Parts: sequence; structure tokens; C-alpha cells
Amino acid sequence: MDFTFNQDQQMFTETLAALLAAELPADRIRQRWQSDSGIDAALAAQLVELGLPAMLVPEALGGLGLDATDFIQLAECCGRFALPEPAVEGALVAAPLLVDIIHGNPSAAPRLTALLEELMAGEAAVAVGHHLNPYVNFAGQADWFLLGHGNAVHLLPASEVAITAVKSVDPSRRLGELAWRPSAATLVADAELGAACWRATLNRGALGNAAQLLGLADAMVKQAVAYSADRQQFGKPIGVNQAVKHLLADCAVQIEFARAPVYRAAYTVAQAATRADWAVSHAKVVAGEAAQLAARNSIQVFGAMGYTWECDLQIWAKRGWVLDREWGDAGFHKNRVHEWLVQPNALIGPEYTFGRGDQPHAR
Amino acid sequence: MNLRSNAADEAFRREVASWLEQHLSGEFAQLRHRGGPGDEHSFVEERKAWERELARGGWTCIGWPQSHGGRGATIEQQVIFNEEYARAGGPGRIGHIGETLMGPTLIAYGSAEQQARYLPGIREGREFWCQGYSEPSAGSDLGNVKTRAELDADSGQWRINGQKVWTSWATESDYCFVIARTQPGSVGHKGLGFFMVALDQPGVTIRPIEQLTGSAEFNEVFFDDALCSAEDLIGGPEQGWQVAMALLGFERGVSTLGQQMLFQNELDQVVAAARDNGADRDPIIRQRIADAHIGLRIMRYNSMRMLAGGEDGSLSKEAMIYKLYWSSWHRNLGNLAMDVLGAEAQLLDGDGYQLSRLQGLFLYSRADTIYGGTNQIQRNLIAERALGMPREPRG
Repeated sequence: MDFTFNQDQQMFTETLAALLAAELPADRIRQRWQSDSGIDAALAAQLVELGLPAMLVPEALGGLGLDATDFIQLAECCGRFALPEPAVEGALVAAPLLVDIIHGNPSAAPRLTALLEELMAGEAAVAVGHHLNPYVNFAGQADWFLLGHGNAVHLLPASEVAITAVKSVDPSRRLGELAWRPSAATLVADAELGAACWRATLNRGALGNAAQLLGLADAMVKQAVAYSADRQQFGKPIGVNQAVKHLLADCAVQIEFARAPVYRAAYTVAQAATRADWAVSHAKVVAGEAAQLAARNSIQVFGAMGYTWECDLQIWAKRGWVLDREWGDAGFHKNRVHEWLVQPNALIGPEYTFGRGDQPHAR
Repeated sequence: MNLRSNAADEAFRREVASWLEQHLSGEFAQLRHRGGPGDEHSFVEERKAWERELARGGWTCIGWPQSHGGRGATIEQQVIFNEEYARAGGPGRIGHIGETLMGPTLIAYGSAEQQARYLPGIREGREFWCQGYSEPSAGSDLGNVKTRAELDADSGQWRINGQKVWTSWATESDYCFVIARTQPGSVGHKGLGFFMVALDQPGVTIRPIEQLTGSAEFNEVFFDDALCSAEDLIGGPEQGWQVAMALLGFERGVSTLGQQMLFQNELDQVVAAARDNGADRDPIIRQRIADAHIGLRIMRYNSMRMLAGGEDGSLSKEAMIYKLYWSSWHRNLGNLAMDVLGAEAQLLDGDGYQLSRLQGLFLYSRADTIYGGTNQIQRNLIAERALGMPREPRG
């Protein structure tokens, strides 16, 4: 078992981090809060240029042919910079869902392939409405919607979807509640194909959030560490106090112990997608817990400053609170782990903890 | 030990309940359940009028001695009043800083003239107070205050210069009690005075601080040659720290009872929300609701035990553990509320950044573990003062 990332993967992450470090200081995020769209078109275009939306699309369909292990650190990086643009959703949710349907339904393939190409080129935004998420982020900016009706998947242009804008506690988000009518013309995956598609989509969505939560948590702790060295009380930096050190050390422990499950879940999604439920759920739960603790303890370290609107920490904290509930909250994912464990043929035991449990044909 | 209420207490309970029932009506009916945490800015003028209505019925400052215009209510009666007030949905009390902090401090440490000058305004709901302790460089390290007070020999007035921060209710208050350095060059707890400063004067500027809740309950207060009469200093020019600490003792006293009743209302709301959306069928949510109830009862019993002790505001061990306990409990209640609401937890209603009561609870409670002594400072106090462990080196 080797958790290290290769040089290409690391370089891609560094490139994205450099771009976001330059283009996304906290005050730019605050500017987005004032804008209607909430999106910076120039940055969105740069993310397309980097190839983000094409990453998980097979080369045969014009993509980069990479997998979730190649993308996972990029998603984490988006969290680290609290990126408001729905780049993770586009790359890890919308594009792979289109690919799944293209593979499963040849009759819909031509138009979906054309849409996928537009998505990869940054010419069309595709939003996905999963039944676990009653509110769709950036619905107002989407050109197309992939929506669930029962297990079936329908594709609708924005003109056929009524969007009621609703506000999120995270001012970086632009949520919409959708009303729409399914028809034979909009159907792109029937209930049988759709069930498989939605299951995989849920896992990819939850994985994307888990990775972002990890990045958010990490960024909050870094800000708190810097503040603890800066802020003086009793004639010394507050960070010299054990009571303050331990708050952040606890976060570091949770974050690092969440990291491995998140990377493992990415591996399972890439290698054995049909059996990824438990791995993704494990990752989502622990990454969510790490982000919650990091938000709580970082605010505590900032003291009253951390409670102000002016303090940038709220950008990360509020995103963490929101992403933790999207694509299934902690209760939902703990239940999935539980259900997997009590299956009579669950692959548990020492021989599955490492190694064989990840093999696609182990059962 | 006697945990039973007597007939006189029950009669008192009926009296309170019936008065509130009659008076939280008409123009005041709209104030029911308003003005709590996250909702501080609702109906401010109406709530000030309500304070005066309470005063006319003799229901402000009931714990003050009769000689100072209070009822001399027993601890049990004060608990009953707070319970019935919360049960009736009485609005958040704007007068609480005056009633529970400034008043008791004046009664314990003020001169007869000061008591005569300030107690009636508090009791009658006419004058409102805020607290000027924290400064940008004096948070946990309160002894590091830099605000200066200089006595002008000609006018006999103190001139105050400096800045206070995190001052709740400053924009709505008439007076601020301020600790300021009277001895140039003094450090720490020495050389401080405790001043009662009128806010409506040219030398005072108040600037609200927007919080992550989108509202602004706290303020910065700037003093630029603000004037304070020599008669408005409590204790001597170097006794400010003792007065300030005694006041904090009152903060952890009876004033906590009203807060617990507010917590009870919030917990009731969380339970109601869980019933509404079916979250109460989730066994984990059920257990967390039970835990929240248990925690609230513990607070209640413990504060009764704590209040049965000294009445001079001095800290007992029981008082020291209280802040840590309630702030952590309240923060967890906020988490529970959000988990009960599920996906809806993130939705905002209305214009601007308008939080629902439960969202307000969640975000507002983030400050609970910080203000009035952070949880870390509380643990140090418990370890060093209650347990007698060696003190952490300072400075």
C-alpha cells in the first residue's frame, strides 16, 4: 500500500495552488459576495485552461483520462483556498455523470458527448440535482441540468427549469430550489442505469466535499497558528500557552488522520467504484469532523476577533459547516458504514483491512 | 438541604405569572420570545419601554435589598421570577447589565451619593449600562488595560483617553463602567480606577463591530478627553481592579438564572423543530436531546448550589466551573440545532444576512466560549485557584 502521489500529480496540485494563491486572496472572495453571479469568469476560464473539467473524462471522449486519485489533491486545494467557483462539482460530479450516461445509453450519447465537450471547454455549465441536496449550488449560472426523477436521470436546458434563489449562510454560495417537469424528451438514463449513475455520483460528490473539507480545515489551522504567534497577551504570544497549543494540535491530529481515509476513498472510487460506498462515507465523516473541529478551535484561538465579520476565518468556517451537510450529512454516512458492516458478506477482517479489500474482484 | 418549594413561593410564582400574562399584552405582545441571542436588535425601543413597564410593576431588580428599592427577593424567588419570565416568553432584558452587574456593585461598593444618583435610573428602566473592560491589547490579559484617566486639578474632573472593545449594548446605553489607568506607568492590576462614564458626550465615539452573524451586538468605544466627574469613581483611584473583579463575581451569580431559562426555551425550540421534521425519530438525535436536557438540569442544580453561598459576589469553586460548563453546553446545543434542521440549516430567510433563531443560536454560541473569560482562561482558573495547582508563568 503506497499513499504517495507521483510527480505529475504533485506538480498539477502545485500549479493550481500557485494560481489560486495569486488570483484568490480573501478580499476577492468577499468581492464575490457582493456580486450577483458569485463567480469570477476570468478565474473560471483559467481553471478550464488548466484542464480541471476534463480530468476525469476518458481520452476517447476528449478528456485527460485521469482518475480520482489524480484529482483528489486538487479538490483539497480548492478547499484550502475556499474557492467559491464550482470547479470540484464540474470535474468530479457533472463531467463523470455525463460520461457514465454516455457509456450506458448509446442513444443519448451523441448529444451528451457534445455537451461534455462544451463542459470541458468551459462553454457550458452543468449543474447536478441529487435528491440528497435539496438546493443546487450556482443553479442560476447553469446552462444545463442533470436531474433525478426517481432513479431516472433527466437532462434539461436552463430555460425549462424554474429556479427559486435561496440564500446560504455561506455568502460564497448561490443556491437555487428547482421546479421542473420530466418528459420522454428529457430522459437520458432510465431507472436501471440511473440508479447506478446516482450511486456513483453521490460517492464522487461526497468525496469531493471530503477533500475540500480537509483543505478548509488545514487552511483554518494555518491561519490560527499564525495568529497565535502574532497576538500578545500577558506579555507573550498566546501560542506559548499549552491551552492554545493543544487546541490546534488536536486539529492537526484529526486532519492528518482524516487525510488517509480521503486518499483511500479516492483510490477506491478510481479502482472499484461499485464498492466505494463505505470508503467514501468513512472519508466524508472524518473529514467533516476535522473541519468542524478546525472551525471551532481556530475561532477560539482568534478569540473575539474570530467572531467578527471582518476576520477572514469565517469564509472557511462557513464553507466547512455547509459542505459537511452536502452530499449526505455525518448521520447519513455513518449509517452507510454501519449498513456495510452488518452485511452478512461484508469484506471485513484482517485480510481485507489492507490490500484485498480494494481489489475489484475480491468478492 | 431542602429542595421543596413552600406555599409562599408557590403564591409568588402565581403572582409573577399572572402579572406577566396581563402585561405582556397589547403593545408588548409582539415582544414575546424576542431579543434573545442572535435577535438582540429587534424592538430595542419597545423593549426599553417594556423595562419601564416591568419597573412600574416592581419587577426589575427584585433581588436588590428593599432599602435600595428592590424586593429583597430570596434566591428561590429570583429563580421563580426568571422561570416564569422565560415561560411567558418575556423579551431579552436590555436592563440586565445595570440590574445584575452595575447595581449590585454600587450597592456593595458605591457611596450613598452614588447609589442615590444611579440606582433609581436602573431600577426604573430609564438608564442603561454597558461594560468597558476589554481593550485591543487587553482581552484575556485584562490587567493590560491602557486607557488612561487623568485628574484635572482645576475642574476636579477625570479626563479619559483610550479605547474599549467588544462592548455589548454601547449604542443603546447611557453609561459605561470603565476601568482605566489612574497611575501613569503602573502595570497589571495596580493603579486602575473604576469609572462610571456618561456616553452622551463629545469625547465618546461608538463604532459597532459587525459579527460573523451579520449583526453587531458588540462595539468599539473610543474615549478622547471624555470627562468623568470625580464623584463617579467607585472606590479610590487605585481600587478599580478589586471593584472590577467583584462585579465579575456578580456576573457569574444570579444573572445566570435568566440565561438558563433562555436556554430552556432554545432547547424546547430544538425539540419542536425535531418533532416537526421527523429528526426526533433518529436515535442519535434523541440521545443528544437527552444529553442536552441532562446538561441543562446539571447547570440549574449547580447554580442553585452556588447561589446559596455568599452574596458579596466573591467567587466560590462552584462559580468558577459554571462559565466553562454553560458555554460548552450552549455551543453543543447550537450544533444539535443545526443537525436537527439538516439541509435547511444553511438557508437564510429575508433580506440581508438574516439568521433564524436556531441559526443565530449556532453562530452566536461561538462567542460564548470566548467572552467573559475564554474556556482556556476558565480552565486555568479552575486549576490554579480551585485546585491550587502551580500558576502558569506570566509576562
